[in-house]
Amino acid sequence: MACRGGGGDAKAPSAPLFLVSPGSFSTCTAHSHNICMVSDFFYPNMGGVESHIYQLSQCLIQRGHKVIIVTHAYGNRKGIRYLTNGLKVYYLPLKVMYNQSTATTLFHSLPLLRYIFVRERVTIVHSHSSFSSMAHDALFHAKTMGLHTVFTDHSLFGFADVSSVLTNKLLTVSLCDTNHIICVSYTSKENTVLRAALNPEIVSVIPNAVDPTDFTPDPFRRHDSITIVVISRLVYRKGTDLLCGIIPELCQKYQNLNFIIGGEGPKRIILEEVRERYQLHDRVHLLGALQHKDVRNVLVQGHIFLNTSLTEAFCMAIVEAASCGLQVVSTKVGGIPEVLPENLIVLCEPSVKSLCEGLEKAIFQLKSGTLPTPENIHSIVKTFYTWRNVAERTEKVYELVLKEDVLPMDKRLDRLISHCGSVTGHIFALLAVFNYLFLIFLRWITPDSTIDIAIDATGPRGAWTHHSPHGEKRGENKKVSKTR
Amino acid sequence: MCDQPETHTTEVKWQKVLYKRQPFPDNYVDRRFLEELRKNIYARKYQYWAVVFESSVVIQQLCSVCVFVVIWWYMDEGLLAPHWLLGTGLASSLIGYVLFDLIDGGEGRQKSGRTRWADLKSALVFITFTYGFSPVLKTLTESVSTDTIYAMSVFMLLGHLIFFDYGANAAIVSSTLSLNMAIFASVCLASRLPRSLHAFIMVTFAIQIFALWPMLQKKLKARTPRSYVGVTLLFAISAFGGLLSISAVGAILFALLLVSISCLCPFYLIRLQLFKENIHGPWDEAEIKEDLSRFLS
Repeated sequence: MACRGGGGDAKAPSAPLFLVSPGSFSTCTAHSHNICMVSDFFYPNMGGVESHIYQLSQCLIQRGHKVIIVTHAYGNRKGIRYLTNGLKVYYLPLKVMYNQSTATTLFHSLPLLRYIFVRERVTIVHSHSSFSSMAHDALFHAKTMGLHTVFTDHSLFGFADVSSVLTNKLLTVSLCDTNHIICVSYTSKENTVLRAALNPEIVSVIPNAVDPTDFTPDPFRRHDSITIVVISRLVYRKGTDLLCGIIPELCQKYQNLNFIIGGEGPKRIILEEVRERYQLHDRVHLLGALQHKDVRNVLVQGHIFLNTSLTEAFCMAIVEAASCGLQVVSTKVGGIPEVLPENLIVLCEPSVKSLCEGLEKAIFQLKSGTLPTPENIHSIVKTFYTWRNVAERTEKVYELVLKEDVLPMDKRLDRLISHCGSVTGHIFALLAVFNYLFLIFLRWITPDSTIDIAIDATGPRGAWTHHSPHGEKRGENKKVSKTR
Repeated sequence: MCDQPETHTTEVKWQKVLYKRQPFPDNYVDRRFLEELRKNIYARKYQYWAVVFESSVVIQQLCSVCVFVVIWWYMDEGLLAPHWLLGTGLASSLIGYVLFDLIDGGEGRQKSGRTRWADLKSALVFITFTYGFSPVLKTLTESVSTDTIYAMSVFMLLGHLIFFDYGANAAIVSSTLSLNMAIFASVCLASRLPRSLHAFIMVTFAIQIFALWPMLQKKLKARTPRSYVGVTLLFAISAFGGLLSISAVGAILFALLLVSISCLCPFYLIRLQLFKENIHGPWDEAEIKEDLSRFLS
């Protein structure tokens, strides 16, 4: 949700990111790292993971590190592209299987990824999202190649059904020998530690962030009626069914209450049915899918933000809404209670009754004028979550990781066998051995010494900051984005 | 790193919040870590005899398949006259039909609003069509080898047992598929009988035992559990007796299967409950417990 719209075509040079003075580069170079972010999810796909990777990379570049991103090809977008500040993105030609996630064989991506890791002189491989098979593949190969590994988990997962049993087992295998894991909330950390049977000491909690300059209150807000804003994908997990109960209940009770609902999804049809049945066409506005740049303009039309999610690791949407000065009413699920202080959020049980009570409380406060002004709320919220802070804390994780040793092959096999259960452990230990043999074979076919070293666009010797982008591109001799 | 005033005191308590900068490293593990973890809160407690009673549905279905195969074998060997089977089948169907309404005092009939005339019509239509097509059924699989037919019947009857609706709420359950597989098996087997009258009676019998009998069973089980247990025992003994007259070894294996399903499996299920570790916590997806359809109707 909270991503800059410009990521797709590198046309929005995130203004606040230029705040760091060029001089600060030299101070950071002593500890500069070569980081490779890997995930199946990146622009032009939109979502929380995508914006997290982009914003974190940008802030790390500002802090003097070399960052590259590896993802799979999206349609016509393949090869190498450069985004703002010389952020290099590899769109690899791998087959997409399901939900933008690539197929995995654990082996087929080794030649490509090894080539990238070698030519970019990567020291840390940072994978994102447990739904991305490419991220897990990259972790597997990086460990085989003896690189340091970090993994960020962005989502919560249950334990009850067969599919979660299987994915949790795979996560255990993937994370048992990863150096460090990052979660976005304490609830998410508990969840990941349980799912992957990890030592909690190697799991850090670093929340997501939003750009407060993107989400500012509107000083000219109207006050003649009360508007409740909902912005989410209209799917079951986001609690659209609850919304269908709340709308008629409250609209019958309050005559000057309006709803604005942004987002698209399979549950839109039931919202339309409710609107039809209760004749609420003038009071319930369904906006459909929103572009990220329009989110702020929709948010500031309202007074109260309603979130009905049934599960959520962090929930950027409520932070964005609070940053725009709205009173937030939300279900008390997942990591949501950790995100905002009690005076800025009304927490409810995930039921129509409880949410209606919460909304009525917020409406009452709004009418009686006991709520803080939007500007006040904004000035409180903007200090909570910044990408600068996220980058600093992630940097600390990198430094911690680099002090550790990567497990050598024999210890890695021991860890796999002792940690993942005898059957799964032995199978994956065997696969790790095969992967190692495959790596040796690849090293024999194309030795590391024959692989060209890429010219750094970012980092301590980054070409991007010294030369014009055009000259750098020629030196790179690669296909680059024509949009620049 | 932190600018909270209370950080200057030595006793700073960790809080499970993200918006505050706290004087702890990011990988700090507090005593409160995992304190909201709950185990087995929705786990069901099983009673041994209740599970044995529920397993009778499986027993009944196994016996149905066994009885069906035994009857077919007798017909194939010429030891059972088709008229006799037709007579018994019709008589027991009539008794079952009357019982079906008697058990719940016509309540189910009122609810569904189905008339006796409609029942009679469907029965007549079915019998007429099966009788008319039985010569076709007879010659339908002539070009297929008998071994193939037997193999197909075995697979179809196994499929019938797998997909049958035993009352579990699972994706694999499909009573339509289950019934269709049983009827397919019966058509396959019927085509190997000596005459088309045999084929007609075999398919009719299959309908009785695979479609009508489970419906009556279901009602018996819900309304009069005691008599249901009696019926199940009788049915199991007759299936065992029928099989014994063909093959002693088969009968003993069948009896062992029945005993293990009705006695050993429940015991094992209850023992396995001790190892149950169902984890719940704040990360679980919330469930919508209310009925939300009232807003749409």
